[in-house]
Amino acid sequence: MSVLRISRFNGALKHVLGESRAFSLCPRLQLKQLEEAQEGKTLVISAKIIPSEREPYVLKKDHSSACPVCASGLDIKHTDVLILSQFVRTDGCMLPRRITGLCNKQQKRMSILVAMAHKAGLMPNLNPSYSKKDPKRRYQWKKFNKYFDESTIKVK
Amino acid sequence: MSCTSLLIVCFIDDCGDHVIVINSADIAISEEEWKKRVYFHHTGYPGGATWTLAWELHSKDPTLILKKAVYNSMDGNLQRRYTMERLHIFSGENVPVNLLKNVSNQIRQIRPVPKRLDHYMEEEIKKFPKLIDYPKDYILR
Repeated sequence: MSVLRISRFNGALKHVLGESRAFSLCPRLQLKQLEEAQEGKTLVISAKIIPSEREPYVLKKDHSSACPVCASGLDIKHTDVLILSQFVRTDGCMLPRRITGLCNKQQKRMSILVAMAHKAGLMPNLNPSYSKKDPKRRYQWKKFNKYFDESTIKVK
Repeated sequence: MSCTSLLIVCFIDDCGDHVIVINSADIAISEEEWKKRVYFHHTGYPGGATWTLAWELHSKDPTLILKKAVYNSMDGNLQRRYTMERLHIFSGENVPVNLLKNVSNQIRQIRPVPKRLDHYMEEEIKKFPKLIDYPKDYILR
């Protein structure tokens, strides 16, 4: 059922197919809700909840109310890409505070460290589709190596 | 009548190790320095003064930034030019064979080179201890 709607903002005609739902048919991308399409003579679409890949490796906290980074007591640098990539989406953006569950200070610190890691070209695979993957292809000074000083991050 | 002694500067006792530096094209400076650090050069002719930015100089000759940094860190005496002759900087891995034959020691790196995320094995990334897990109702994008 297609519904033609005149968008309020730009007056252009917008072709809207009912409601938009975020689901994908590819099993690898979705971890929590998997939609399977099995074709015999009938098409069966079902949703499954698959346990996250990370579960066996998550660090356990002594106090459940503490922020995970503060509880671990680690001094995280911008070069610790394996830790920083846990807080990042597939297109390189930071996850929001309600998902990461970090405290105010650590969330800010992590987002600054992630920005530093991106600028240093340490996470070229976590990029939006339109960006250049290789740091060497960047423009002017951006193609050269940079180092960052973590002591310049001031979060009170 | 004062008797002045003549000091003759001679470099027969100029001694020191030769130092070879490789991969100077991969040098790292902070972003602000790349954009704002300028190197001055005057050809000697009127109107021959140029101020070149660090990234422009590096793209033209990758060895110069390090060479100038070392030169400017030394005392400004007459020995400086002679000591600089003993420093050999190469922008890549290619070093002449006759130099490599005399290499006796390797100096440790001050700052280790960080590893890129795509250079790690998938297994390593998977097995690395995780600090957080996604919430139950989160849709992975």
